[in-house]
Amino acid sequence: MDNEFNIQEQTSLSLSTRLALFWRHGDQLFKAIIIIAAALIIVLGTAIGYELWINSELSRKAFGLSFLFSTRWDPAIDRMFGAFPFIQGTLVTSFIALLFAVPIGLGVAIFLAELAPTWLSRPLGLLVELLAAVPSVVYGFWGLFAFIPFLVRPLSESLNQHLGFLPIFQGPVFGPSRLAAGLILAIMILPTISAVSRDVFRAIPVTQREASLALGATRWETISQVLVPYGLSGLLGAVILGLGRALGETIAVTMVIGNNLDISSSVLHPGYTMASIIANEFTEATYDLYLHALIEVALILFIVTLGMNMIARLLVWRVSGKTKHEARA
Amino acid sequence: MNRVMINPKVHSLHNYRRKTTNMIMLVLAGVSTVIAIVPLVWILFYVIIKGAAALSWDFFTKLPTPAGVPGGGLANAVVGSVITVGIGVIIAAPVGVLAAFYLLSSQTKPFGQVVRFATDVIAGVPSIVMGIFAYTLIVLPQGHFSALAGGIVLAFIMLPIIVRTTEEMLKLVPNSLREGSLALGATEWRSSFSIILPAAFNGVLTGLMLAIARGAGEAAPMLFTAFGNPFMSVSLNEPIATLPQTIFVYAISPYKDWQAKAWATALVLIVLVFSLNILSRVIIWWRARQLGSGNR
Amino acid sequence: MDKDQFNKPVVLPKLASLGLTHSDLIPSVEPDIKIKIRNLSLYYGKFKALGDITIDIPKNKITAIIGPSGCGKSTLLRSLNRMNDLVPNTHIDGQIILDGENIYAPGFDVVDVRRRVGMVFQRPNPFPKSIYENVTYGPRLYGLRKRSELDGIVEHSLKQAALWDEVKDKLNQSGMTLSGGQQQRLCIARALAVQPEVILMDEPASALDPVATLKIEELMQSLKESYTIVIVTHNMQQAARVSDFTAFMMIDNPQTRTGKLVEFNVTPQIFTNPQNKQTEDYVTGRFG
Repeated sequence: MDNEFNIQEQTSLSLSTRLALFWRHGDQLFKAIIIIAAALIIVLGTAIGYELWINSELSRKAFGLSFLFSTRWDPAIDRMFGAFPFIQGTLVTSFIALLFAVPIGLGVAIFLAELAPTWLSRPLGLLVELLAAVPSVVYGFWGLFAFIPFLVRPLSESLNQHLGFLPIFQGPVFGPSRLAAGLILAIMILPTISAVSRDVFRAIPVTQREASLALGATRWETISQVLVPYGLSGLLGAVILGLGRALGETIAVTMVIGNNLDISSSVLHPGYTMASIIANEFTEATYDLYLHALIEVALILFIVTLGMNMIARLLVWRVSGKTKHEARA
Repeated sequence: MNRVMINPKVHSLHNYRRKTTNMIMLVLAGVSTVIAIVPLVWILFYVIIKGAAALSWDFFTKLPTPAGVPGGGLANAVVGSVITVGIGVIIAAPVGVLAAFYLLSSQTKPFGQVVRFATDVIAGVPSIVMGIFAYTLIVLPQGHFSALAGGIVLAFIMLPIIVRTTEEMLKLVPNSLREGSLALGATEWRSSFSIILPAAFNGVLTGLMLAIARGAGEAAPMLFTAFGNPFMSVSLNEPIATLPQTIFVYAISPYKDWQAKAWATALVLIVLVFSLNILSRVIIWWRARQLGSGNR
Repeated sequence: MDKDQFNKPVVLPKLASLGLTHSDLIPSVEPDIKIKIRNLSLYYGKFKALGDITIDIPKNKITAIIGPSGCGKSTLLRSLNRMNDLVPNTHIDGQIILDGENIYAPGFDVVDVRRRVGMVFQRPNPFPKSIYENVTYGPRLYGLRKRSELDGIVEHSLKQAALWDEVKDKLNQSGMTLSGGQQQRLCIARALAVQPEVILMDEPASALDPVATLKIEELMQSLKESYTIVIVTHNMQQAARVSDFTAFMMIDNPQTRTGKLVEFNVTPQIFTNPQNKQTEDYVTGRFG
């Protein structure tokens, strides 16, 4: 720290000289500012967890672990809260979403990363990523007015007709349903899965493909027997990232799932997810326990999505680690 | 030694099977890409057709009429979105850009790792949970919904996007630029602001654009912060309407004219969000190409 | 420089007059030709990378392709197993005739060409799988599944690649745990496992230390009894040590940068008595 000028001299300096000094000594200030900014992020991250924790206290203390398993969500009469219907709904819709988004997402990633020529893969890749840019509320709106009437409903009715003996396809068939929510979620998480998977494929060195093809393997054999095993942890990470997003998706789901406390096993029935119960009932929470119960649901959501994201990033990391290890050998 | 031979006659049939499998799989991959794009095209078409029918200049200039009464517009929601997103940007942009500078200079330091982790944590928080957080943090103590609360929650949501994109763009700036500036005797922060930031300006801009695209489309957190307002308001302390929240309310209502307005709103929102996204990607691509060829 | 140089058919001179002692390098009869390259020109888009190349690759001999960097050696090598097909916008004129059939004929089984003409790359590229799985990758594609069959192939291939003794107790370990030289021999074993007829080697020892390099060179000598070997190398001493025949390539001029064959002959001839001045300049180190 320069202290070339004593105070008396400083006060007699011209403005330009003073600015020049500031310019030179500004480094300390700059470093301090950016550290503060970075620290603010840490503060925010912890604050979220903290607020959720303390504002769900009443509910946590009242119900403990049974909150996760109880199916009684009764704010009006008994004032008992159990989140199981929402947990079940979230799991079912996310599962349906993964069922469709994973194969299609991987197919897209393989097509764009390995098969399509550049002039095709770039615009197509952009289109798939634009899917991610559509606001959730627009998905819900379109889902209600176009997707359900023209696709999901006929599909549900036909599933019910032909496979209705299976408990998951039992009727009656309304419009909104868990299937509808699951399918819309699939569309929403597809870009995540495909974009991350594409990056995983791009991280695999070209030499691996060359080695396989030079042995007389076909393109598909190279992809399925060399590339996918190589990048498996990354691909798994992509799926988990997609799952993380599906778990937290609110508005689109609320608009098409029917918001019903139904816990039957039929996917053709309406249901509820953790995110949508919060959206629906939050402004009606008239007393503290109710509020805390809803916040506890938010807390569960926070912890689960946090865990998924951490695992996913770890897995995706491992593929690039593998490549570096190979280069060193 | 008795070796197993790869018998050309036998394996030519096998080869045929392999080739057929190959072809089928490659076609399936292409088909999945088509399937992936269908919803996008469908949504776009539907929103354009339904929205264009209900869209007019009134949308941006008039206030909503009572339900069932045709006419009017959603000027209040337009203004509300501008205000809330604006607040969000004002808060998140400086913090985000500065934090990105920090991350740039601390790739391996443990504190940097913690910051990175925290950014990931915030990025992964579902927007409804973020809305709850803002509710407990701001709305409860204040006792009322407000535009300010809406702006703040959007700032939280936008922050990780700005940090990440800015950092990526700053990393693209060649090190030689920074070293050259430092070698000339300029201070760290002067180098950062007068040399690196302008070089990465496009990138920072794209980060902001992507963040705005995200923030403008969020409905869930608005439900507990800005809440909505059928009247025009520019006060930070009053509840305020925003475009996505309006779509939500109008879409699930039983009124045909409200639903029509919701389509118009959806069209406006999609046009805004898509333009920002496409534009920012074009800039990123163009910038990376520029810097890439400059590095040779 | 005589333009006809490039179009002369290959002629093998009698070498007795040179007083050489490696009699097995002096064919008194023309050897069998495994691959006939005829007027091969290759284009990457508009760029003509190879210009009208004609060479006879003799069977069960080692043929080296040498020349300064950028002259198209690797491109020529990769044409022999159609690996250039993977680069977009490539286009071929001319023929490459393997045992009487043009591998670039429309409808020719590319997958089979690559099995019959195997390749080893400059940097070892084993799969991140076990040593066993690396070697059995190829045979399993062809439907060989029985453990006993595969075990036999693994042992035989690793023995041929002079790696068996070093890894026979750790076949289940990952191929990445081996040293660079061992990894390269693993890649050779992997290529041998599909029973090729020709082995192409693209600067196979350039990433290895001298001891490992020597092992690879010894390996090549033992392999040539059963396989035809074509190697690209920038190391002239290696080419002189190891190969029976040498092809020297150069670009025709700095503007078009098309790779051409300058001279092809038995190796001692190329290095001690080259016919072409450019060859002489290169092998005596005056450039390149």
